[in-house]
Amino acid sequence: MKRGLEKKMDRILHLEQAGKAKRGIKNRALRKLLANRLSILGIIIFAVILIMCVFAPVFTSNSATKVDLKNILSPPSAGHILGTDKIGRDIWARVLYGGRISIAVGLGSALLATLLGVSLGTAAGYQGGRLDGMIMKISEILMSFPQIILVLMLVTITGQSLWNLIFIFSLTGWPSMYRMARSQVLSLREAEYVQALKAFGIGSMRIAFIHILPNAIGPIFVNVTLSTAMFILQEASLSFLGLGVPLEVATWGNILNAAQDLMILKNSWWVWLPTGIVVTLFVVGINFIGDGLRDATDPSQIG
Amino acid sequence: MSSYIIRKFLMLIPMLLVISFLIYLGMELMPGDAVDFLIPPDALATMNQEQLHAMREALGLNDPFFLRYLKWLWGMLHGDFGYSMQSGVPVLTLMKNHLPATIELTVTALVMSSVFGIILGVVCALKKGTVADQILSMIGMIGVAVPQFLLGLICINGFSLHLNILPVGGRMAYAGQTFLERLPYLVMPAVVLGFSLTAGVMRYGRSSMLDSMGKDYMKTARSKGIPEWRVNFLHGLRTAMTPVVVLIGFRLPMLIGGAVVVEEIFQWPGIGGLFVAAVRSQNTPLVMIIGFFSVLLVLLASIIVDIITALLDPRIKLS
Repeated sequence: MKRGLEKKMDRILHLEQAGKAKRGIKNRALRKLLANRLSILGIIIFAVILIMCVFAPVFTSNSATKVDLKNILSPPSAGHILGTDKIGRDIWARVLYGGRISIAVGLGSALLATLLGVSLGTAAGYQGGRLDGMIMKISEILMSFPQIILVLMLVTITGQSLWNLIFIFSLTGWPSMYRMARSQVLSLREAEYVQALKAFGIGSMRIAFIHILPNAIGPIFVNVTLSTAMFILQEASLSFLGLGVPLEVATWGNILNAAQDLMILKNSWWVWLPTGIVVTLFVVGINFIGDGLRDATDPSQIG
Repeated sequence: MSSYIIRKFLMLIPMLLVISFLIYLGMELMPGDAVDFLIPPDALATMNQEQLHAMREALGLNDPFFLRYLKWLWGMLHGDFGYSMQSGVPVLTLMKNHLPATIELTVTALVMSSVFGIILGVVCALKKGTVADQILSMIGMIGVAVPQFLLGLICINGFSLHLNILPVGGRMAYAGQTFLERLPYLVMPAVVLGFSLTAGVMRYGRSSMLDSMGKDYMKTARSKGIPEWRVNFLHGLRTAMTPVVVLIGFRLPMLIGGAVVVEEIFQWPGIGGLFVAAVRSQNTPLVMIIGFFSVLLVLLASIIVDIITALLDPRIKLS
C-alpha cells in the first residue's frame, strides 16, 4: 500500500521519464506561492480591486464628487449601481476613486516604513554599538504604545491631512521592520562569506546592504504586504471616526463614515455595506498573499 | 523568580521616564499655553502684555523647559495630571469617571475571547481535518481581517435596528440593577471587541495544540495508560497554552486600541470614547495622559504575561 506522497512521487517520476514533465517557473518561492490556492485567491482579489480602482474611469462613467441634491440616498439602480449617498454622490464611483487613495495610503505608508526600518536595521544592526542600542530603545518605546492610540496622539499634534497620515503611519510602522532586518543582519554578520568580504577590504555598508540584506528579501516582502493590510484597516477605522483623512477626500473610511448616522445605517445599506465588504475583501486578499509569501520564502519549509 | 520580577519593574522606570518626557514634549509642541486657555477670550483682549507676562511668571510658564517638565512630573507622581482644556475638569476626575466602563468592556472581551478561542482551537486540533475544523478555520481567517467598526455596524444594523433585541449603544450606569438588566448593553461591544482576538487565539491555539500533540511526552503519557482526555487536557493543553498566553499578551495593546473604536461606535462611556472626543477637540493634555496610561498598562501586562508563562511551562526559568 503506497502512501499519498509516494504516489505523487511516482507520478512525477513517470512523467519525467516520458519527457513530459512541465518545466515550470525556476524560482522556488514564486512556484510555491503559485501552488498555494489561498494565495492565488488573494492575488486575484487584490488584482481585481486594484485594477478597478486604478482604471476607475473605465468602470464607471459617474463622477465621485458630483453633488446631485435631487437624487439623495437613492437605492441601487441602473444609473447608480450602488445608489447615492446623502448628498447624491454616486457610491460606486466613490468606492473606486476612494480606493485609489486608501490603497495609496496603505501601500505608501508600508513602503516608507519598510524603507526607514530596513535601512536603519541593516546599518545599525551591522555596526552595532551605541547607535544600535539607542535605535533599539526607540523602537521598543514606539512598540509599547497601542498602535491606534499612538497614531491618534500624533494626529492631535500634527493635525489631520492625507500626507500627515502617511507620515504618521510610517513613523509608527518602522520599528517592526527595523527589528526584522536587524535580526537578519545579526544572524549573518559573523558568517564566513562576510568574513571573506571583509578580508577583501569591502566597505562595511556595502557588505551590509549588498551582500547581507538580499537574504532578508522574503521576510521584507511578507512584512510589506501585512503592513499594507494593517494600514488600510487603520485608515478606514480612523476616517470612520472622522479622525483620519479629511472628510472631503473620498477614501473607503470616509465613505463608511456616513454610517455613523443611525438612519443611514438602518435604511440605506448600500451606503456602507458594499464599501465595507470591499475593504474586508481587499484586506483578506492581502493577508492571503502575505501568508502565502511567508510559507513560500521560509527556508525551513521545503517544497 | 521574585528577583526577576523586581528587576523587570526596575527596568520599567527609565522607560517610563523617557516616555513621560516625550509626552510632555508633545504637549509643549502644541500652540498656546495654559494662560490662553485659562482666561476667556474677551478678558484676554483687555489685558496688556505685562499682565500676561506676570501671569505666566506666576504659573511658572517662563521657567526653563526642563524645570517645567520636572514640575509636571512631580505633579503626576502626586496624582495631579492637569486639567482638561475643554471643561477645566481635572484629568484625574475624568479618568476616574470613565475607567470602570472601559475595564468592564475590555476584561469581558479578554476573558471571553481567551476562553472561547482556546476551546475552539483545541476542538479544531482534536477534530483536525473535519468539516467543523475547516469551517472554524475559515471563520478565523476572515475574523482577523474584518474591520472592527464594520462588524459593529453590521451588528447594530441587525440586532438593534432591525431585530430590536439589543440596545443600539450606551451603558447603564451602575445603580443597583441586576447583572441581567445591564448585560444587553455589554453583549455587542464585548463580542465585537473580542472577535478578532478570539479568531487569533483560535488559530494559534489550534496549531500550538497540534504541535504539542505530536510530542514524545504525549506518547509516554499514553503508554503509561493515562486516559485519552487526561493526556490531551492535562499534558497536551498545558504546554500548548504557553504560546497562546504570549499571543494574548501581545494582542493586549490591540485590545486596548480596539476599545477606542468600539467604544466610539457603541457610545460606550469609557476611556476610549473620552480619548476620541479629546482628539477631536485637540484637547492635548487629556490625549497625552490617556496615551501615557495606555503604555503603562501595556508594559505592566507584558510583565504579567512573562510571569504567567513561567508558571505554565515548567521548562521556562525566569532569571
